[in-house]
Amino acid sequence: MTVWHLDPEAIRRYARGAAPPGLAASAEAHLMRCATCRDAIASHVDTRRVEAIWHEVVDRVDAPRPSWPERMLARLGVGEATARLVAATPTLRGPWLLGIAGVLALAVWAAQVDERLLRMLLVAAPLGPLAGVAVAFAGGLDPTREIGLAAPYPGLRLLLIRTAAVLAVTVPIVAAAGLALPGSHWLAAAWLLPTAALTCTALALMARMTPVVAVAVVAAAWVLVATPTAMAGHLDLAFGVGAQIFWLAVAVGGGLWLAVTRNTVTIKLGRSA
Amino acid sequence: MTVRVRSATKSFGRTTALDGVDLDAGQGVTGLLGPNGAGKTTLLRIIATVLAPDRGAVSLLGRDPARPDDRTRIRERLGYLPQDAGFHRGFTVFEFIDYVAILKQMTDRRARHDEVRRVITLTGLASVSAKRIRALSGGMRRRVGLAQALLGDPDLLVLDEPTVGLDPEQRLRFREMISRAGEGCTVVLSSHQTEDIAALCTRVAVFHQGRVRFTGTPNELTARAAGRVWADAQRSAAALAAWRTGDGVYRNVGDPPPGAELVPPTLEDAYLLLMGEPDLEVTHS
Repeated sequence: MTVWHLDPEAIRRYARGAAPPGLAASAEAHLMRCATCRDAIASHVDTRRVEAIWHEVVDRVDAPRPSWPERMLARLGVGEATARLVAATPTLRGPWLLGIAGVLALAVWAAQVDERLLRMLLVAAPLGPLAGVAVAFAGGLDPTREIGLAAPYPGLRLLLIRTAAVLAVTVPIVAAAGLALPGSHWLAAAWLLPTAALTCTALALMARMTPVVAVAVVAAAWVLVATPTAMAGHLDLAFGVGAQIFWLAVAVGGGLWLAVTRNTVTIKLGRSA
Repeated sequence: MTVRVRSATKSFGRTTALDGVDLDAGQGVTGLLGPNGAGKTTLLRIIATVLAPDRGAVSLLGRDPARPDDRTRIRERLGYLPQDAGFHRGFTVFEFIDYVAILKQMTDRRARHDEVRRVITLTGLASVSAKRIRALSGGMRRRVGLAQALLGDPDLLVLDEPTVGLDPEQRLRFREMISRAGEGCTVVLSSHQTEDIAALCTRVAVFHQGRVRFTGTPNELTARAAGRVWADAQRSAAALAAWRTGDGVYRNVGDPPPGAELVPPTLEDAYLLLMGEPDLEVTHS
């Protein structure tokens, strides 16, 4: 049985959360055993503060631990809500990424055999990330698309989050495939700026058409322009220094347009939404 | 009126899904009844702001969903359970509902988690909230769908076939949950089940081939079959529909012969009559 009690000043400071660590620890140990002091402190306690603390404790204990991709994103500084949205991106699932990696491995193997196939690989490389962006919003692969369309979350923000997530995962895969190509390694990076430019163009078009249609339009235009030049051996026309500057300008222009119109543009994530 | 649809028309290619539909829905539960392909889902998708009509006027919660700003405001007060609600099956129940809460712009983590817990408790999912959705039964998944629709205590709740695929006990539980929701907001739901409509709805709209054949209360719809249902020892050739009941007597629906033993009609009888006679005048009350 305890024979001493906390003095009124110590009680006040502890109740306000202003007690130094030594006093707080001592007070806590004492309060566990002393009903008199517990009664005395009750009138000093800010009930809203206690409720808030208790709430936080319950939330921390009760909310499930985030999945490892979400925890990894949190460590990189991504907010927990954004991490959850990224985790729900359909094209970040294993089967899709394995599919991309498989197709690229096949293409790299083919490029070792025939130089024309090597050129075609450069034409095809930007299509992987682009397809990932389109599929991230395709009705068939996004099981919650219908629910998402009826939610007030800004379409442009969701689009950018998912696009960034898709690019962050698919670009390294395509780059790794590029490093395995025969000959000069500049090829491993030559498609990056075209990819950025094509993606920005597709994003800009999504104010007018759905993501799948926008990507299809951009991809078709790219294939129609790049294939004949690549097949004719004029790689510089699409991937040379001049072309890279052009692609950079398109990417920057598209990015600026998105930044300027972010509050006014309505992205057509659904057929009529 | 929370929902006001006027002369809404929607086509997909050459198929006309909605053909000049009018609908009003206020507080309480309004049911859309009709066979597959009658246009119920198309209208619900329009009310959920997922789809825009080709022609016609729509007002939801006093706003015009064709205007981007209004559409966002509507969506903030809307809950929607689609017919084939999909789920990220790798998410737990809590994670999935939390994901939808994020899409509903609930930005404060703690408040959002409180709301997720509230709807999980409301729909009886507390015991499975940490389970992955892929491990749940169809009935439980339907509850998850309803839980996400109830997030934020919406003023307008759109439920497409909420009781489909549920066993009788689950259906009763669902009815209870929807009925409770309808006490404080506007619920518009579709169903094939006349029992659900009779048990839940304050108003009903019967759809047939993209048009509304009837709007009114379930009792008014049932009353249309008064004097047109009779019991007989045999199937009547004059009946639009007839079936043998559990007590061995045939229940006939149609134009009764003179002296027929008339029996009180049900909502199902009236629905069958309406579907069997699609050229009847459209009735609004």
